[in-house]
Amino acid sequence: MDWLEDELRRALARQEAPVGFADHVMARRAVRPSGARRWLAAAAMVVVAAGAAGAWRQYQGYEAKREVMLALRLSAAPMHRVQLEVRSISQ
Amino acid sequence: MLTVAVETGYDFGELLRQHQAMVFSIALHFLHDRATAEEVAQEVFLSLHRNLDHIESAAHATGWLRKVTVQRAIDEGRRRSRKPQVALEDVAEPAAAGVKPGDPLLSELLRKLIATLEEAPRMVMVLRYQEDLEPAEIAAALEMPVATVKSHLQRSLALLREKLARRGVGESGWTG
Amino acid sequence: MKTLLIACLAALPVLAAPQQFQLNLDAVAAKASQHVDVSLNSATLQFAAKFLDADNPDESRVRKLIEGIEGIYVRHYNFKAAGTWTQADLEPIRAQLRGPEWSKIVGSTNAEDGGSTEVWLHLAGNKTIGVAIVATDPKEVTVVNIAGNIDLEALAKLGGHFGVPKVKPADKPQKEE
Repeated sequence: MDWLEDELRRALARQEAPVGFADHVMARRAVRPSGARRWLAAAAMVVVAAGAAGAWRQYQGYEAKREVMLALRLSAAPMHRVQLEVRSISQ
Repeated sequence: MLTVAVETGYDFGELLRQHQAMVFSIALHFLHDRATAEEVAQEVFLSLHRNLDHIESAAHATGWLRKVTVQRAIDEGRRRSRKPQVALEDVAEPAAAGVKPGDPLLSELLRKLIATLEEAPRMVMVLRYQEDLEPAEIAAALEMPVATVKSHLQRSLALLREKLARRGVGESGWTG
Repeated sequence: MKTLLIACLAALPVLAAPQQFQLNLDAVAAKASQHVDVSLNSATLQFAAKFLDADNPDESRVRKLIEGIEGIYVRHYNFKAAGTWTQADLEPIRAQLRGPEWSKIVGSTNAEDGGSTEVWLHLAGNKTIGVAIVATDPKEVTVVNIAGNIDLEALAKLGGHFGVPKVKPADKPQKEE
């Protein structure tokens, strides 16, 4: 067994991610668009059996709703910060 | 009213928990900077989240994460390399005399020495000794020929042995 | 650069989008590592409203919020490192918002995190017909145009919903006795 390779394995052993790492990722994920395309495509396939026109409309509707929520999410965050700053100044 | 079935696919939270150590460690050992490694690792998982519907299997997820981490760590390393890379000869090392196998000082010295390698051999070494990948797997992750991977491994090991030997670290220094 | 583009729904009839200023952010986009682009015109908003669940408190709030809106246009950019984008990159936007029909009502900067938020109202006489928001921090730029009549207070209250963490307000000072 090569001593250097053993030492390298020891030196480069995986380390735990910092405390709170997963929480930070989840929080950042919440303001980013999710990769929901497959979800929506799967939903669309389910409803096709019940009627193509209605199915497509449903798919479009959920897609539109998702985009509205995303747009408002991105718009609401800075407004909320401003609201709190204005309140704290006026107190 | 039609009920739409929800296919949840892969659980992002579970993938995050399962692979965060791997992703963070590749970035850390390559960049040798905890804060930057954490940032890179976060970006990798956010990228995974956006591409979750492209993940085909658990093994695919592992390979995908590894490859993206490698790319992002290398990109970050290039972006930060505004100062000239420290030559291996100039690395200020901790006192090496008397260092024995398994000594944490030796591990720290090795990590510092690895951090001074050029980016390609550095990443090859990280993938080999952190992830225990075979040369063919490293070649696939780095998109380089297997022969190049093996060459990087051989040269890096030889260089490290030489540098350690000069500092009295190595089999010849452990007699008695 | 990785780009994630969410285009407005192509299958719906495309009405003339009442965007109130040009979202010419090519300089920003070129430097961004990720990019979100949302353009929702009146038809899409009305259509989406039908799929908002009135029994869900959040969706009910959203439904009410978008009632008077004619369009929402959002450009959101993330950057790998601070210092990637500059104020000059946003000048094409700010130059338009210096026009006589725009009135700046908020200019806020947070020294701690380097974030800033600017809000303008688009006026036609005494009536507000739109809002522009430019929000930045060292690694993010968000530019929003909301055309139509929107309750800014209600929009702000959405903070804390949709996964956006609520910022705790400063403690109220004790009243002197």
